[in-house]
Amino acid sequence: MRTIRDSMVLGVSAAAVATALLAGGTARAADITITMAAPDWPPTRFMKEEFDRSYQSPDGHNTVLDIDFIPWPSFYERVAASLASGEQKYQMIVTDSQWLGAFVEGGYYMDLTDLMTADPELTAIMQDLHPALVSAYSTYPHKSKDFIADNPFPAPDTRYFGFPQFPDTYVTFYREDLFCHEGEAAAFQEKYGEALPCTYEDWQNVDWDTFRNVGEFFRRAKGEPLGDGVADDDFYGIAYQAGKGYDFSTMAINAFIWQHGGSIWDETKAPEAQAEGVVNSDVAVEALEHYLSLLQYMPPVAQTGQMDIFVIQDLYMQGKVAAIIDWVGLGEPVLDPSSSVVADKSAFGPAPGLRKEDGSIDRTGNIGGQPFVLTTWNSDEVTNEALNVVKWWLKPEVQKNFVAGGGQSGLVSVMADPEYNSLRPWNRAHVEMLDWQRDVWHVPDFFELLTQQQEEYDRAITGQIDAQTALDSIARFQQQLLEDAGLIQ
Amino acid sequence: MAAASPHDRMAAPEGAGGFLAWLMAPERRGPLLVAPAVIVLFVMNIFPLLWSFGLSFFNYRANRQDVPDFVGLRFYERVLSDPDVWDRFQTTAVIVGSSVVLQLVIGFLLALMFAREFPLRRILLMLVLAPMMLSFVSVGVFFKLYYEPTFGLLSQFVSTFTGEPFVLLGTPTGAIVGIVVADAWMWSPFVMLLVLAGLVSVPKYLYEAAEIDRASWWRRFRTITFPYIKSLLLLAVLFRTIETFKLFDIVYIITEGGPGTATETIAVFTYRVAFQFFRTSQSSALAYIILFVVIVLTNLYLYAVKRREQEVA
Amino acid sequence: MARPREIGKAGWGWTLFAGLISLVYFFPVLWIVLTAFKTRTDALAVPAKLFFTPTMQNFINVFYRESITAGAAQATEFPLYFFNSIFVSGTSVALAIVLGTLAAYAFSRYPLRGNDTYLFIILTTRMMPPIVVIIPIFLMFRLTGLSGSYWGIILLYTAFNIPFSIWLVKSFFDELNPEIEDAARMDGANERRVFFGVCLPQILAGLAATFVFGLILTWNEFLFALLLTGVETRTVPVAMARTMGGEVGVDYGLLAAIVTLFLVPIFIVTYLLQNQLLRGVTFGTVKK
Repeated sequence: MRTIRDSMVLGVSAAAVATALLAGGTARAADITITMAAPDWPPTRFMKEEFDRSYQSPDGHNTVLDIDFIPWPSFYERVAASLASGEQKYQMIVTDSQWLGAFVEGGYYMDLTDLMTADPELTAIMQDLHPALVSAYSTYPHKSKDFIADNPFPAPDTRYFGFPQFPDTYVTFYREDLFCHEGEAAAFQEKYGEALPCTYEDWQNVDWDTFRNVGEFFRRAKGEPLGDGVADDDFYGIAYQAGKGYDFSTMAINAFIWQHGGSIWDETKAPEAQAEGVVNSDVAVEALEHYLSLLQYMPPVAQTGQMDIFVIQDLYMQGKVAAIIDWVGLGEPVLDPSSSVVADKSAFGPAPGLRKEDGSIDRTGNIGGQPFVLTTWNSDEVTNEALNVVKWWLKPEVQKNFVAGGGQSGLVSVMADPEYNSLRPWNRAHVEMLDWQRDVWHVPDFFELLTQQQEEYDRAITGQIDAQTALDSIARFQQQLLEDAGLIQ
Repeated sequence: MAAASPHDRMAAPEGAGGFLAWLMAPERRGPLLVAPAVIVLFVMNIFPLLWSFGLSFFNYRANRQDVPDFVGLRFYERVLSDPDVWDRFQTTAVIVGSSVVLQLVIGFLLALMFAREFPLRRILLMLVLAPMMLSFVSVGVFFKLYYEPTFGLLSQFVSTFTGEPFVLLGTPTGAIVGIVVADAWMWSPFVMLLVLAGLVSVPKYLYEAAEIDRASWWRRFRTITFPYIKSLLLLAVLFRTIETFKLFDIVYIITEGGPGTATETIAVFTYRVAFQFFRTSQSSALAYIILFVVIVLTNLYLYAVKRREQEVA
Repeated sequence: MARPREIGKAGWGWTLFAGLISLVYFFPVLWIVLTAFKTRTDALAVPAKLFFTPTMQNFINVFYRESITAGAAQATEFPLYFFNSIFVSGTSVALAIVLGTLAAYAFSRYPLRGNDTYLFIILTTRMMPPIVVIIPIFLMFRLTGLSGSYWGIILLYTAFNIPFSIWLVKSFFDELNPEIEDAARMDGANERRVFFGVCLPQILAGLAATFVFGLILTWNEFLFALLLTGVETRTVPVAMARTMGGEVGVDYGLLAAIVTLFLVPIFIVTYLLQNQLLRGVTFGTVKK
């Protein structure tokens, strides 16, 4: 099949074409087109615009970065279809971290370990990247963040694939006008015997109990006083993601499970790690119950299991809720007066966590964002040029521009820059949260694991089953599936 | 059915190119005319169908480059013994059944309304036909918005009476209702057109005679109107059943199959297996089982058309 | 029209009644059209706004996109997508009618042995859920390089429209009076003349109905277009999804603007061919 296909020169969109090949084999300037599959949103739009503005090929090539902007809702299907169809259209791909396994095993994503090791510039970049990002975005088979932190690049027995395109974490978006309102603060103090969090430092001390209180406290019916005025509609205190689509509720529930000391199936310990008994352990059940118990303080859409990251963002931007936990990547529209009525009233803090016995707060969360990778079918010339693009993208000045334009950087040196926190209002929270990030599975079967889990969580969120039943069902399913896949023995 | 006539000059003159003459002979005219359509159909439809039939006997995943191995009927066995599959078929049956009934009722009433000649009829008819011309994606997105408890028109409307936000999609029943309403709204105009065509075909003298007899409305309907639209109604039922069986986008957007899997239709399920899980062979086997069901329905549909033809003839 | 009161006639009273019902039925569409003229905050306002200051920004945004790096606004690819939709739907439906009419004429005038069986098999392909064939088509496109090309998607849509076209057009041919054709033959017309000069002109209305029907069913196709079109051949229903799930959930105003613009061509075609459409859906089972 492959030979037939390869011999068909009906290439759809032109792949890289080297035109200036002269005898003698000396490296000459060539016209190179790098086609990249990317979701259609500002961080990738920025990359294209910045590339056109500032990229200069160090090898003197005439390089075009041709980004195929694909709408988010169909991004996975479109990329998966393109890869499986063998059209070999893309030289680079922006990918969710969970897809690594599926597409590395399929032979589509290029193993860059040796190239990185051989190239001092790339080695320096890999060593400068935050270990949570290297762990989630680059390693397959997956290595834990702690392992990567303890073993700087190149770590033993570790294969590397990707670089951060847009590293994302969730943080708290909150209404400064309400949380810093004197009357509200006094009433909160009186009712709960603790301070209403107002400043960033206050939010660093918010655990789930305080968050719950906030939820209860700011629940106002239409017409009741709220801040300086009255609520013009039913008003709610808190919201986080509880949506059936894609990975929404999983992203929030994993945080609860990890913070409570539970675990999801641990792929770094395959094939010994089990699902049954781990996924549905008592701690995990307790964590899921904790997560579910806060839903009652959230807007009514929570009852439908459709409260995804966009719904809570809309509710927040339309002034229906006081504080939400959402991705930094969705922050920009919140500050835009044309889409948000709270544009001038918003501030950002770290996401709440679970208070430990020693008084500290565990904020472990599930990482978001996307890495980008190279594909396996490119000529050496194209691969080298693609790596030049990678180096350009991860240059500190490009990364700083990106951050100023609403992006995020994964480079520790950039994040340490004293200017960094002032570039965007959520940056401080993002940097603080980054240390807490872990990721879901990267195994090829992730979509099946995810779909079944989302269905069961959805049943629990809509009140059809309890936490124990949901997790038992998930554990049973995962045990079976992973045994069949040879990932549990 | 005219046979080749003696004055036929389409055939090439004797001796001018043996093959062309042979090809153009009157007895090959039928197959020749059918050929282009059949070739396109074969290449784009029938061949892929046979291919996937073959795939369903192998263990194959389209996103891997492994060599497929023959597993015989294993995937059929797996699909037919999978309780999830039966559950999705049941969900599909409930949604299809209620949606088609609703489409029939609404379509029928709309058709009665438009069966008369009145000023501005052409324009008003366009308003009712508009939903059919929208994309599934936009119907899905906007109905999801209409159902949303805070921003949605439905909840805002209901809460003026109850004072409470109205949460439609929070229960399995509510979610099914939400989907059925959106689908029925979109496709009732189709049923309306069919029924309308039937009503228009009733000879007017029958009504005139009935008016002279002072027959009651119900009697007129039962003895004159109904016989004329009977098979068209049946036709509408079957055509819409087959189409609703494929219902995908609206479900995927409005509920994504939730709560839990309460609204996951067989089409959504197949999509997941095929494109999210990339279990290519399993989805092929599943697809053939769906196809079998659809063929049974198609036969019923054809039977209905036949009956209609006999009635009219 | 000016004849005195007749069965099935109604006056302005009925118009009022029907108008009310039609408006209620049309309301969800009307709301989409209104949303196209709203800002995001207006679109999600509670209580919902029936009256508001209209903005054209959404329509501008269909064709121009603001720059992220504060450069000049860029033109979007939407003109191309609109062209693609019109070109792909128009071509494939027209092609299906041409091929379908030839086949229908043969099925009607030169029936084969087992005619009904062939017709049944052809119809079955139409009734099939797209999901059944998408995997093999996908693999076939992968082998032939058709994926991402105009020809791929056009041929595919053609194939999906052919069964329907054959059935519909055949029923129109069946209704024709064969005596007229025989008379033409008596006058010395050859078979080509009979087909083009006698039969075809009589079913032009039917062909128009077939066209509208095919167009409505093809215009909004999403799944095949998503998986089998490329950057250059993408159609509007696929591109519509760009209004969902970027930095905000759904850009309701932008989506509504695209839907509204996309509704215009099909609305006009349907309006112009309304009477034929009414005839078309009956599958020709209703005699004149």
